[in-house]
Amino acid sequence: MRRLYLPGLAVLFICLVAAAAPLLPMPDPIRQDVANRLAAWLPGSPLGRDEFGRDVLSRLIWGARSSLMVAFIASAIAAVVGTALGLLGGWFRGVAEFLAIRGADVVLCFPPVLLALLVVTLLGPGTATLILVLSVLYLPGFIRVSFAEVLSARNQDYVEAVRALGAPTMRILLRTVLPNIAGPVLVQFSLAVAAAVVLESGLSFLGLGVVPPTPSWGLMIRGARSTMEQAPMLLVWPCVALTFTILAMNILCDAVRDIADKRGGGGAKRLRLVDRLLPGLFPPPASPAPLLDVQGLTVEIAVPGGVIKPVEDVSFSLSAGRTLAIVGESGSGKSMAATAIMGLLPPAARAADGVARFEGEDLLRMPEAQRRRLRGGAMAMVFQDPMSSLNPVHRIGDQVAEAIRAHRDVTAEAARREAVDLLKRVGIADPERRARAYPHELSGGMRQRVMIAMAIANKPRLLIADEPTTALDVTVQAAILELLAVLRREEGMGVVLITHSLGVVAEVAEDVVVMYAAQVVERGPVAEVFARPLHPYTRALLAAVPDGDAEPEGIPGVVPRPDQWPPGCRFAPRCAHATEACNAAPPALEGQGDRAVRCIRWREIAP
Amino acid sequence: MTAPLVVAEAVEMSFAPRGILAGGRPVRAVAGVDATVAKGEALGVVGESGSGKSTLGRLLLGLLAATGGSVRFDGEPLPKPGSAAWRKLRARMGIVFQDPFGSLDARRSIGAQVMDGLTIHTTLNAAEREERTAALFRRVGLDPQRMGAYPHEFSGGQRQRLGIARALATSPDFLVADEPVSALDVSIQAQVVKLLAELRGDLGLAMLFISHDLPVVRHLCDRVIVMYLGRVMEEGPVAQVFARPLHPYTVALLSATPMLDPAKRAQRVILPGEPPSPSNPPSGCVFRTRCLHARPACAEAVPPLRSLDQSGHRVACIRAEEIG
Ligand SMILES: Nc1ncnc2c1ncn2[C@@H]1O[C@H](COP(=O)(O)OP(=O)(O)O)[C@@H](O)[C@H]1O
Ligand code: SF4
Ligand code: SF4
Ligand SMILES: [Mg+2]
Repeated sequence: MRRLYLPGLAVLFICLVAAAAPLLPMPDPIRQDVANRLAAWLPGSPLGRDEFGRDVLSRLIWGARSSLMVAFIASAIAAVVGTALGLLGGWFRGVAEFLAIRGADVVLCFPPVLLALLVVTLLGPGTATLILVLSVLYLPGFIRVSFAEVLSARNQDYVEAVRALGAPTMRILLRTVLPNIAGPVLVQFSLAVAAAVVLESGLSFLGLGVVPPTPSWGLMIRGARSTMEQAPMLLVWPCVALTFTILAMNILCDAVRDIADKRGGGGAKRLRLVDRLLPGLFPPPASPAPLLDVQGLTVEIAVPGGVIKPVEDVSFSLSAGRTLAIVGESGSGKSMAATAIMGLLPPAARAADGVARFEGEDLLRMPEAQRRRLRGGAMAMVFQDPMSSLNPVHRIGDQVAEAIRAHRDVTAEAARREAVDLLKRVGIADPERRARAYPHELSGGMRQRVMIAMAIANKPRLLIADEPTTALDVTVQAAILELLAVLRREEGMGVVLITHSLGVVAEVAEDVVVMYAAQVVERGPVAEVFARPLHPYTRALLAAVPDGDAEPEGIPGVVPRPDQWPPGCRFAPRCAHATEACNAAPPALEGQGDRAVRCIRWREIAP
Repeated sequence: MTAPLVVAEAVEMSFAPRGILAGGRPVRAVAGVDATVAKGEALGVVGESGSGKSTLGRLLLGLLAATGGSVRFDGEPLPKPGSAAWRKLRARMGIVFQDPFGSLDARRSIGAQVMDGLTIHTTLNAAEREERTAALFRRVGLDPQRMGAYPHEFSGGQRQRLGIARALATSPDFLVADEPVSALDVSIQAQVVKLLAELRGDLGLAMLFISHDLPVVRHLCDRVIVMYLGRVMEEGPVAQVFARPLHPYTVALLSATPMLDPAKRAQRVILPGEPPSPSNPPSGCVFRTRCLHARPACAEAVPPLRSLDQSGHRVACIRAEEIG
């Protein structure tokens, strides 16, 4: 909001001054006084007098009045008519679309000055003509913007929803579509006003706009030109006024757009990971230690109200050739833990505590350069949304080849051949041809296979897969999980699989870590944990799966937000077994053989 | 069985390729489907994405005008979309969408959106509408105090409840739920499925429940149809279709579904290749390019849906007896 104040005040000031021109104690802007021609300063004329001895300040302010009035009225006409045409064209398509869009194209074909000349010759110069010309000129912008917005809005479910309710078309257009396209139209409006101010001045300067002696900035510049040598300031003042007005308006437009476009900020945004898999080769040190050993991992994010910990004291370890699953509801910190291990945390977050040893070396304390060599080489990651990790403008074969060449010294040709082999390996039919495809030409399952091909391009020893199959059909999911299992068997790769599907865990993982509200609440071998869950949360999750004959039971409530964690056990508000004691202090993670559980009552309530 | 509410006969939907330059063939998203939803019945529709499930749902609602075949609602053919009769009929049908974020208008209060149906279709005054909306909020488990709030203040599960409340405002007889729980966590899924099941019982709603999650369909629905490339491969009571699938595609679909106890599910069948383009489907049985049991005869004619017994379990496969 603060961004609005300064430009808003500036524009408001300009408009107020322009509107108040008749009330201000100023000399008449058109009264000539040849005796004081070009005077630099006179009492009552702080900016001096122009070539006819008229007061410059007064003319500037009255000029603002005519410039702004013309610009606002013309833009408003263009906005109303253009938006209406765009709305109708985008909603009804067919003839309406043809008329609106082709009409806009025709207008766009005319050079603005030519159009102005044409209209002025026909109707004679003057303010009304100018408004007409400008509104016609800015019409296409509004038609196109609103047309494009309507096209995308009409495919949205919330529009389909009101249509399905039988709302009359007018109501849909006015109540649902219009408010949702208002942001871009508003921006277009502010751009049009700013541009109209410039064009008004330009046309007036050429003698095609406002007729003398009415003051206007364009006319002032035109007049000042002839006396530029004697009185250069006469040229400066209208130019400064013009520049200041347009700058203020443009900054205001930007701020307005940003605020207008804030469609709900509540939903957690997925992390955009610009940092892609950068492959490198690293000689495998023969270490007896587990492949990945994470102890006490804690991630902190500084937010306006303090520091939140979306991952807190997370520990687990993974041996080569095994699969460990991390499960939990959305918002429990699974992805954040994985990105911390990979060193791909977003800038605001940092790994505040703990260690994550990969083959004995702490990934969290390692210099970024060293970690980058590991990433995509010895360890790789696959994300849920392959589209955000693939470059839309490059062929997939080239992207896989690039992943190979980024750290291995092979020729482009060899890398390309290897890329085709990899595509074949991940089960892409006709890999030669597919290598030349762009990401958008592939189905979701194919793109996920390409991501996996890139991830395994340099034979990683650790693969972290974050919801790799969540967006896919079960048939495709089965094929991808099968592929991961084969790679793990044949390459001895260790896999960390993040998922919220317990069925997937049961199918592919040996060990499982259950996370809730940033913490590990239960950990152990999958077969044991699923057969005899110790933590009430694990049990509730298992009971929610619609499998077998029992009616699936939901868990009431939702995962609390990181700034609103309950003081004691974080699951207490949703736990069927919660007692007073649960709220008193946070339970510790208790080890029990190869299992661990974070619940003070697990012994009493275990079956 | 009670009286049929929605009856589709050989309903078809072809989308013409857009624009003059697009060329190519039309996409037959739904290619001749028969479907019946009885009053108070829940019919499940399963299949991979792109198999035409959503298109079928919109055809049954009359949101799309079929390019072939017919849909009757309560005995009458569906009126032309946009006509006065069509708009009036909207009050008797509702739809719930998959995406809890895209299906609510971010710029209007949730109360106003849930109230829309009442505003459009009833002559209730503001206070009465308010009261009815509050009751709807309570019914779907939301606090009526929050009617003035905006969608972004709600979680995915709560938004789906709002979507359900909006669809139910006019007390419809028929509800199409298009993957209403697919975007939710399993813990929240179960809550929403339970709500739908309760509402169905309390209100006697007929429901078309579209999902690619087979176990959810088994719990919620009476009957199910399995779609592939715009056609019905198999149809029948859920218990039978899931326990004894007859069509090779249903077998593959069921075997691909992850289970908590993998020992309980059938030997996994991984389908080779990808689904063909709906604008250029294979001749004969559309599934034959990925079917492990395909024979040359499968390419000759489209296998009709036929019953193997008296239970209403029907399958479109010429080899169902041999491989079943
Ligand atoms: N408005 C449309 N225009 C063109 N093609 C469409 C349109 N809607 C759906 N289709 C196509 O119809 C087929 C079936 O789609 P859909 O009914 O959405 O399947 P499902 O819901 O099973 O995923 C797909 O190939 C899809 O691309
Ligand atoms: S500590 Fe108490 S509230 Fe927390 S999970 Fe255990 S029983 Fe439930
Ligand atoms: S008809 Fe032939 S190709 Fe089609 S499902 Fe049956 S066996 Fe397979
Ligand atoms: Mg769909």
